[in-house]
Amino acid sequence: MSLDGPHSLTPDERDAVEELLFRMADDEYVAAERYIEWQIFAPTLESDLALSNIAQDEFGHARLWYDLLQDMGYSEQECIWERDPATWTHSTLVEQPFEEGDWADAILRSYLYDTAENLRMEALVDSSYPPIADRVAKVLAEERYHREHAQSWLERLTGGEHHEKVQAAVDRLFPYALTLFAAGPNEDAIVELGLRTENLDDLREEWLEIVVPFLESLDLTVPEPDEVALPEETGRDASHTDAWFDLYEDFTHTYNELELEEPIRLRGEG
Amino acid sequence: MIWEVFRQEKPGGYHRHVGNVHAPDREMAKLFAQIQHGRRMQTHSIWVAPQDEISEVDDEDTSFGGTTDKAYRWAMTYNRVDASGIQEVVESEAEQRAAAKKREAAKKEEADS
Repeated sequence: MSLDGPHSLTPDERDAVEELLFRMADDEYVAAERYIEWQIFAPTLESDLALSNIAQDEFGHARLWYDLLQDMGYSEQECIWERDPATWTHSTLVEQPFEEGDWADAILRSYLYDTAENLRMEALVDSSYPPIADRVAKVLAEERYHREHAQSWLERLTGGEHHEKVQAAVDRLFPYALTLFAAGPNEDAIVELGLRTENLDDLREEWLEIVVPFLESLDLTVPEPDEVALPEETGRDASHTDAWFDLYEDFTHTYNELELEEPIRLRGEG
Repeated sequence: MIWEVFRQEKPGGYHRHVGNVHAPDREMAKLFAQIQHGRRMQTHSIWVAPQDEISEVDDEDTSFGGTTDKAYRWAMTYNRVDASGIQEVVESEAEQRAAAKKREAAKKEEADS
């Protein structure tokens, strides 16, 4: 079964497509917003450029999905700049603040997130909504670098003087990472309509099968996933930690201060 | 540790030196070089090499040549001779033209296939 473009969806189908798109777009956007906090603060010039580059990729992916929401009738203001922060549906993993100078957190977060992102994209290659399926290849091509980058760093940060910092990041971030696979209200419809060809439980299992052995191979202790209490705020039902509201205020600050009629687009952009 | 970076634009071309990156080891050097020297330019391949492994000889150490007048090697004297009456030359030129055409045709065929 294949759905057509945005204009021939039934209201139920529309809700499901929107939920899927907002989950993805918000994840990418907020992850990137956090990564750019490292600009000029990363341990070396090279690692600064690499993480900035990854952030730029994620902003680009967010743009891919927000554009599809705009095809459905939303404006960019409604998607980002003037949207109530209490309606965003990114996972609470990506909104967590960094403790000052905690590079291990940034790297581990990227590893956990990008591994999940890769699985999610693979489950969209055959999406029944063609505008999504058409855009997956670009994302997949870039995610490979992100994972290689994170894995290479993790291999070097562990086993020495920084091992405990990585372990602390695992302890702190792992429960939040599980919210990547928490369901929103339209999850059943997303799978029934074939918008995503795998359900979240299967994606979670596949993710655990990759992430847990890799981290354990680095002598890190990973919490038993089924015994981890999911954080109260998963993000997927639009519940968020306080840090998110501060972050939202930060990144919309300039937009609000300038009181623009509409967001500025750079010349040559979309 | 500093790694020198060489970028090749197209298969078969030379790898040209484009700068360097700081990285603790080969693998990280390759990852960083991709971002710093490959992302914004057409790139087919990148080499990284430890700076210490590159050996240099410069113009203080040696005389490289290339500074003396070698104009005498350019045999221009015969360029204006009319060779149209000399059978050997006419035949040879015809052969060369035919061979050049064949090469062109083969190249085109390869490109089309």
